Amino acid sequence: MGLAYSKIDGKSKEFYILLILFSIFTLIGFICFMVSYISGHHVLGSSSIIPWGMPITITIYLIGLSAGSLILSALTYVFGKEEYRPIARLAVYLAIILILGAMIGIALDLGRPEKTWRLFMFFVLNNMRSMFAVNGILYGGYFLIGMVYLVTIFAEKYKFITLMGKIAIFWAALVHMGTGAIFGFIATRPIFFSPIKPFEFLAAAMVSGLALLMITVVATFKFTKRNLNQELIFSLSRYLRVLIIVLAVMVLVDKLTHLYSPHRDPTLWLLTGPYSWIFWILQVGFAYILPVLILFHPRFGKTLKGVMVAAFLVVIGIFGERFSLVIPGTAYPLPFYPGKIEGIWGMAGSFPITPVESFMSLGIFTLMGLLFLVGLKNLELLPVTPPSPQRGEGKGEGGT
Amino acid sequence: MKNKVRSGSKEKEQNGFKLKMDRRKFLKWSAFTGAAVGASKIIGQLDTPAASPLQKNIQKTFEEKWIATSCLNCPARCATRVRVVNGKAVKITGNPLSQVSEGKICPRAHIGLQVLYDSERINTPLKRTSNKKGKGVDPKWIPISWDQALNEVTNRLRKLRENGEPHKLLLFNGLNTVSSEELIFRFADAFGTPNLISGDGLDSETEKSGNWMADGHYAHTAYDLDHTNYILAFGADMLESSKPLSRFLRKWGKFRREKPNRTKVVVINPRYSVTAAKADEWIPINPGTDGALAMAIAHVIISEELYDKTFVKGWTVGFDSYKNLVLSQYAPKEVSKITGIEPEAIQRIAREFAQTQPALALRGKESINWPEGSFTSYAIFCLNALVGSIDVPGGVIYQESPQYNEMPRWVEDETTKKGKAKPSLDFRGTDKFPAAKVVTNQIPESLLENAPYPIEMAIGFNTNFNMSSPGPDRWDQALTKLPYYVHLSPFISEMALYADLVLPSTTFLEEWGYDHSPPGSGFAEVKIKQPAVSPHGSARPIIDILFHIARGLKGGVAQSFANIGDHAEGFVKIRTEKLIPWKDFLRKGVWMEKDYEYRKYDRIFHTPSKKFEFSSGNLKVLLAKTKKGKGEGSDYLPHYREPKFLGDKEKFPFVLLPYQPLMTIENGSQNYPWAQEIFLPMDGVGWETLVEINSETAKKLRLKDGQVVWVESPFQKIRAKVKFSEGVHPGVVAIPSGQGHTSYGKWQKGIGVNPHDIIGVDYDTISGQAAFFNTRVKVYKA
Amino acid sequence: MVIDLDKCVGCQACSTACKNENNVPYGSPDDQRMRRDIFWNKVIAVTNGKYPRVNTELISMPCMHCDHAPCVTVCPAKATYRREDGIVVQDFRRCIGCKYCIVACPYGARSFNSKEQEEKEYHRPDLPPDRSVWGQWPFPTRTHGVVEKCTFCFHRIDQGIKEGKKIGTEVVPACVEDCPAEARIFGDLDDTHSKVSHLLSSRAWIRLREELDTKCKVYYLLR
Repeated sequence: MGLAYSKIDGKSKEFYILLILFSIFTLIGFICFMVSYISGHHVLGSSSIIPWGMPITITIYLIGLSAGSLILSALTYVFGKEEYRPIARLAVYLAIILILGAMIGIALDLGRPEKTWRLFMFFVLNNMRSMFAVNGILYGGYFLIGMVYLVTIFAEKYKFITLMGKIAIFWAALVHMGTGAIFGFIATRPIFFSPIKPFEFLAAAMVSGLALLMITVVATFKFTKRNLNQELIFSLSRYLRVLIIVLAVMVLVDKLTHLYSPHRDPTLWLLTGPYSWIFWILQVGFAYILPVLILFHPRFGKTLKGVMVAAFLVVIGIFGERFSLVIPGTAYPLPFYPGKIEGIWGMAGSFPITPVESFMSLGIFTLMGLLFLVGLKNLELLPVTPPSPQRGEGKGEGGT
Repeated sequence: MKNKVRSGSKEKEQNGFKLKMDRRKFLKWSAFTGAAVGASKIIGQLDTPAASPLQKNIQKTFEEKWIATSCLNCPARCATRVRVVNGKAVKITGNPLSQVSEGKICPRAHIGLQVLYDSERINTPLKRTSNKKGKGVDPKWIPISWDQALNEVTNRLRKLRENGEPHKLLLFNGLNTVSSEELIFRFADAFGTPNLISGDGLDSETEKSGNWMADGHYAHTAYDLDHTNYILAFGADMLESSKPLSRFLRKWGKFRREKPNRTKVVVINPRYSVTAAKADEWIPINPGTDGALAMAIAHVIISEELYDKTFVKGWTVGFDSYKNLVLSQYAPKEVSKITGIEPEAIQRIAREFAQTQPALALRGKESINWPEGSFTSYAIFCLNALVGSIDVPGGVIYQESPQYNEMPRWVEDETTKKGKAKPSLDFRGTDKFPAAKVVTNQIPESLLENAPYPIEMAIGFNTNFNMSSPGPDRWDQALTKLPYYVHLSPFISEMALYADLVLPSTTFLEEWGYDHSPPGSGFAEVKIKQPAVSPHGSARPIIDILFHIARGLKGGVAQSFANIGDHAEGFVKIRTEKLIPWKDFLRKGVWMEKDYEYRKYDRIFHTPSKKFEFSSGNLKVLLAKTKKGKGEGSDYLPHYREPKFLGDKEKFPFVLLPYQPLMTIENGSQNYPWAQEIFLPMDGVGWETLVEINSETAKKLRLKDGQVVWVESPFQKIRAKVKFSEGVHPGVVAIPSGQGHTSYGKWQKGIGVNPHDIIGVDYDTISGQAAFFNTRVKVYKA
Repeated sequence: MVIDLDKCVGCQACSTACKNENNVPYGSPDDQRMRRDIFWNKVIAVTNGKYPRVNTELISMPCMHCDHAPCVTVCPAKATYRREDGIVVQDFRRCIGCKYCIVACPYGARSFNSKEQEEKEYHRPDLPPDRSVWGQWPFPTRTHGVVEKCTFCFHRIDQGIKEGKKIGTEVVPACVEDCPAEARIFGDLDDTHSKVSHLLSSRAWIRLREELDTKCKVYYLLR
């Protein structure tokens, strides 16, 4: 209570450089989108065997980050943990722009983006048995809830904030479990099909959202020269390592289940085939093993640098987790009939990386970065630097 | 009391208030629902078909007609119907009136649309301006008018006749309608040149010679597939490259599941073809040893007395000498060593063949296009006679020819007579190729050596011999040497690249003609060709071009071409009017003779003995005439001789087996994406040539599946991806033909390789058929 | 639909006739390498065994028009749905190109149209035979960005119903009509007099990927 927030000045050279850089890449991304819109998805390297590529992977990643971020803001507003109040606003704002980025990502990946409105015709023109359609409700509602939440936070109507916070946690959990359900309910793809997918996604959301939040907070506070209570980061890192373990256990259970017939062959292919490096190095290595090792290390895990390295690894690693789900999941050749299927119908899909797709994806990220910078400058998101302890006003009390 | 009243009114007020609230709520809710329903209705309206932007612009007049015509993507010439909308051909389907294939067409017929609308067709006659000729050399074509072009051709032809050298004209006949072919023959006869070379010598002349040795019919075999109960196919790719393919495709479905007895099919081939995959048994055999197997089967049938004694006694001669040869030299145990097939399998197959009546033994290119192929063909054909399957239901039948309206004999003047008397360039009928009607692949040597005399001018009608022959580089050299070459085809094929003048001819969907299938259903059937659409650019039908040139030549040639219609439509009408009224023919598209008559034994055998001959009298007579030496009795019997391979076994350990997949369009171009996309169904890929090797063999060579390899013969080498296969004999390398085009076409140029490039030149000694399968190769990493 | 693998000759006329009838775009060699080429009907070769005891089945696979179609369940925009008569329709106007159905289809029957067809000059520049048969008329070509699949030639079926023709004998999809071996039979599964009912009761049949319980309606009679 009593913590004051302010906008950043946003006049430094670094700020403008970042702003311009982000704008340029966003523009390039937009141009790439127009190219793909006019001449078709073939410029993105899309195919009928791996229909979902980079944009969808990024979308589900961003949804996870967003949901995680929003749930963590609830630590303050719902569970009343005061030590996280300095970053709570940032968390909410981050969640909003992440979900905006995700929705833009979905729109970009559609074959006919001008028909995006069809995703919002709930019950009238939408088939509500489709998890995609249900997710339409979830994401739209999530965005609105996030906006209302942020507004109530700015208005400092504490009763509503708590209420919105509770709704937000609940809805955010639903959102990312919904995203997991998109994959988990598809029996055709054995690597997807699993009832644990929604929970796995929720855990991944918490892990990645938390890690991204930690990185964003440290970076933003550093750039805007505000003091950050490092204990805040360390306590978050303790949450992080537990969540990673929870996630790793879920993934372990999922893969172990699939190693039994009838899903054994595709799972073995994932673990030992051409895409296994994504699973082992990015997902298991970067997201689970290395961060846990770092965060449990008695010395390194207690330094800010160590925590940041771990968080960075997690952010990359969870992206790798999404990637190792989407791409190998759809690349595995469908077994129409027992035996060796000859030629193109029996080949595993390959994922070509095209510049148009890469720049378009980069554009989504830079767009969000742009919105972040603009928000920092125009909204009161960051806490004012608390006075130094010599003034004797105690921790946690507001200052100018 | 007052309170009560007050409370009462308060209650009323409260009630009123509640009502108001309810009403307000009700109004709120109904307004909301109304809005929702209204919104969903509006959204629903937006979603209805009528609002689709795609359909707004397609409001034009709509004219549709079905044209009866026939296909020409292969020699089967199936009857089709083409749907034409607003002057554009949009769909090809079969003509149910045709009985050759019961109205069905093979996939290539559909690709006719892409042949018609190939965007890289030639629009005008083209004249070469570059002096250099060669593969990859730009001829620097300039467009000229038809008048110019035809004048040039006619003048040169006239000069040949004036110089008394009409024989120095060489004509190449490729895949053309029967009507075009008959006029090409007429032109050669009237002009006075014996040098009319068709592509038959690359096809399966050995089938014809094998038949001829037995029953005197130098023609392809027709089969009564409706009633047969057992098919023994020696190297016959029934479902990929038979003649006529559509008939085999339809009858397969029929004899498998549309009659009480399901026909058993056994395929004997070094390669597991589509036919083998769909058959009941695949028996891999050492390449080139089919003759031995046929004789061994005869051995079993004869030794176990399973043959049709009535037919053999009554309608054959030479059985005793045949029997002696078979029993003495072709025991299954011996033959098993030659063929690589177990003796028990040979015995079983022979017994099944003889005891499942009626049975058919088929031959295909892969078993008979070898140096001794005529005798292999003869040996296999004799199996049919052994079991009595000659001119019976379910057996070999004899294709009737349509009796077109006779043309008056062409006019033969002195020049013509002298020219026709000269020997032909391909040594047909000489002791080199005694029974041959055409030795296509001999031409390059003859041209290069000027033997028996030099050629001044050549005209090619839809040919592409420098891709479809073994040793195509010799063709390239020979074509370069030709002083003047005119080529007629709708596109610049590899052969057209060497032309001095290219005339764009029409495709089969743009011209008049009549056609009959080479072997068909036994009874005669004629199919019309009428233009479905108007010709592309300024393309002209071959028949019209011939009429024009003939008229220009005046004299005997012009007279030979007078009174036979003057143009394509007229010619077709005159020739077919006797068979069927013109209007009916246009409408129906097909004419058929009455049903087939079986067992015509008294008149069907055109042999010295007038019977089926196990010891060929026809061959004896012919060899006596041409060879001057005395042959032994056994030379006229079917027999097996170890094939002569081109290439030393140590250096070139494998035998090359080039095969023709179904999707090969036989008009000289493969520039058709629909065919290219699904070119190799057994390998699940298109757009390429694969080198198919037995997986164990490939592992021994330390190759990896999908690796690029060189396949080298003693003559040339080619490079392509290797494919590990479980369906190839360990000593064989199978490569599909049809790719490797280099002259034009964004859908074919530079794609794949042509296995014919590395095949050596060899011939069947009797029929002049080019041998395709006796070249040895080696395979190594590229 | 019933496909008799014993009569089938592996010629791929079904794929070709379908491409012709429905103006399905063809692809270039690159398109095939990148797996962007579009096939409404495909013929796959499945090999088992080792030389010389090898067996290759050539199996023609159209859209299976499943009664419990996974694609119908997952389409968010109701662009694909099961009609009364059992045909699973693909409404190209409604399709937003999210590709969820491609992920869900167990038979690889769906293709994503990822670029405009290069040459639109030939085949199907026209209207359907009867202009009152609008609906989801998929011609002359689909735009890029939508998902395409075999439609059991519902334009022919609807036209046939309108003209009172018998479905399965007088009106059939293009692949059925143009199969040279007559290995494909189309008809009403509910009609006990239809040829499909007759065949399914007299021969042993299988459906592909039975373990996924899609209740698909293309039955295969084995060799």
